[in-house]
Amino acid sequence: MNNHRSNYRIFRKKLGFTLALLTIYLPIFSPNLVFAESETNSLLTEIKKQLKKLKNEQAVLEKRLEEIEDKEKTRQLMTQTTSQPIANGSDNQLKIGLSGLFAGGFSSVDNNDLENLQAGGHDPNRNGFTVQNVELSINSTVDPYFDAQANIIFLIDQDGETVVELEEAFFTTRALSSGLQVKAGQYFTEFGRLNPMHPHRWDFVDQPVILSRLFGGDGLRSQGARVSWLMPTDWYSELIIGAQNAKGETVASFLFEEDEVIAGHLLGERSARNFSDLLFSARWLNSVDFSDSTSFNFGLSGLSGPNSSGKTTNTSIVGADAFLKWHPDYSQRGFPFVSWHTEWLSRRYEANDRGNFNREVLTDSGFFSQLLWGFELDWIAGLRFENTHANGDNLLDPLRDKRRRLSANLTWRLSEFSKLRLQYNRDWAEHLEEDTADSLILQMEFSLGSHMAHKF
Amino acid sequence: MRFTTKTLIFVFFFGFGAAHSAIRIVATTQDLASIAQSIGGEKIEVQSLTSGTRDPHFAEAKPSMIRKVFKADLLLLVGADMEIGWLPALLQSGRNSDVQVGGSGHLDLSNSVRLLDKPQGAIDRSMGDVHTKGNPHYWLDPRNGINMSKAIAERLSELDPENKQFYQSQQIVFENKLNQKFKEWRNLLSPLRGQSVIAYHKSLIYLADAFEFNIVGEVEPKPGIAPSAGQLNHLVDLIRKENVSLLIMEPYYEKRSSEYLSKQTKINVAVLPQSVKSMPNIENYFDLFDGIVLSLKKAGGF
Repeated sequence: MNNHRSNYRIFRKKLGFTLALLTIYLPIFSPNLVFAESETNSLLTEIKKQLKKLKNEQAVLEKRLEEIEDKEKTRQLMTQTTSQPIANGSDNQLKIGLSGLFAGGFSSVDNNDLENLQAGGHDPNRNGFTVQNVELSINSTVDPYFDAQANIIFLIDQDGETVVELEEAFFTTRALSSGLQVKAGQYFTEFGRLNPMHPHRWDFVDQPVILSRLFGGDGLRSQGARVSWLMPTDWYSELIIGAQNAKGETVASFLFEEDEVIAGHLLGERSARNFSDLLFSARWLNSVDFSDSTSFNFGLSGLSGPNSSGKTTNTSIVGADAFLKWHPDYSQRGFPFVSWHTEWLSRRYEANDRGNFNREVLTDSGFFSQLLWGFELDWIAGLRFENTHANGDNLLDPLRDKRRRLSANLTWRLSEFSKLRLQYNRDWAEHLEEDTADSLILQMEFSLGSHMAHKF
Repeated sequence: MRFTTKTLIFVFFFGFGAAHSAIRIVATTQDLASIAQSIGGEKIEVQSLTSGTRDPHFAEAKPSMIRKVFKADLLLLVGADMEIGWLPALLQSGRNSDVQVGGSGHLDLSNSVRLLDKPQGAIDRSMGDVHTKGNPHYWLDPRNGINMSKAIAERLSELDPENKQFYQSQQIVFENKLNQKFKEWRNLLSPLRGQSVIAYHKSLIYLADAFEFNIVGEVEPKPGIAPSAGQLNHLVDLIRKENVSLLIMEPYYEKRSSEYLSKQTKINVAVLPQSVKSMPNIENYFDLFDGIVLSLKKAGGF
């Protein structure tokens, strides 16, 4: 046991000695290890450095990969949209639309007086409800040479009878040269701005007094043909010359129906015998843009044709119209805007043939001027003033007495396809017992089917 | 004397034709006009029918436009019912068979791109003014700009084969520049990627598609229907719930709704140029996206 212990002691002594020697000599004999500690430190920094470098490289590579992936994605997106363009189709089919105009209102005068005050065929001319106009409109391209259109209207008259009218049915040419275009069929005569306009485009619920007087309840329209020429001027200048049948209830002032009376003159039967018995019309329309936001139209129109108060009697009508519209550079759905529309018309009517004791020349003139203000998105306020007069003594004649009318209205367009309109009319008419009449009318419009494209 | 008359007649009939060797292009919008200008250079004369500051869906068929359509060799249109309210009236009055539907000078560019938002299933107008052919605001995706430039170059080459090489090389220059710019724009707008955004009208979906953000709602409850107070409060809830930080809209829309939403929820509003010439300094198709990117970055604060 002791031996073991002493041996261990000797071993420890020897180990201690050896270790001491090693400690002394090693630094001398192994110079490489002298700097071991500092060497490890620098190695560590080196590794750290390289690791950092690798990390940087990795980041660069990752970024590059991202870029390549992005590029590839972009390329894929590109090829996806460029490879096979989809033909989305364009509609060349029949465009069908149906619009309905309804009114309800009350006036301070009774229905008989109201019929005289509101002589337009689409006017709300009775206390209570009126179906003003239900219009079916169909249009399309016929072939490379023609476009065609038909408008069929449905009304319910004062007796509750349904009336169907072929309001318009015409074709226009597509491919004539030199700025020419021919229109033929049954159509509204292009006289002034308002006459050819369909009721759903009117800014007021009723038509101006002077138009009802000169063109009757339904507006001036008939069968015929016209040529229009877009003149090679620096501004827009269009000349329209046409000939239409002068006979029929939609050609008032000309060969109107038998047994009617105008200013006490009985109208008789008179048919067109030759070319000169047609109704001739001319219109010269000019338009300029003062700026992107302001446009101005100015037109002159004229009509000449036979009338049925005699065998050789003639009627001529002249008119001037102006339309100015402003809307600012930034406008939402066409709002806000201000527009001003004025027309003046004058008729010279030869009543009875030359040599007839009863012969006289009747002149009727009048104008309307209306201002529309789209003051707020979908809201329009309107104000219209009218004045109409005639020569001679017509105190009791509701078609020729002196009349003035002031109308104010407010329109709310609920969407592109419906609107509500409230209108107040103040009438001054010589033939009325009370001299004045007040009316309040609420109008509603809907429009179904294809979007209708409208001229300015 | 007789000689002068004959000369005059000759000049009248043939003189005008000879004086205009450049192809006359009429575009319905400034965006189409700008792309056409990039492709056609000096070989064309291009005019836009609309100004860029208004919604082209609600333009009016002004007589001055009829003259432009009458004189045009090529009509460029957005299509997809964008111009349905006025272009048919112009074409009917324009007396120019070349630019009528089916004519050699009629180019509907919606046929050159893939339209989004094509309505599925039954639709009617109780949904508002839904475009049945798909959303027509496709020029707001630069990738579609490339498709449009290709279609324009192709048609110009058909109308003017002598200059085919020119149009093709111009198109390649345009495409390369647009590709490079698209990458830049995407990088600049990368913070927006995957974000939720509210738009005024359903007209910015192509922009969202190109730059990969999500439009989670519109200020208009239905296309073309003005927002009510109820709809705006519903949007306030949506903005808070979905944590939407950006509202994007065109400059021609009313500002009251966005101001109300901004006041209620602190949402940032970016008024974007939606078309060339819709705002100052947006002169061409590249400026358009530069302008959009700038407005988005400014409003988004990145």
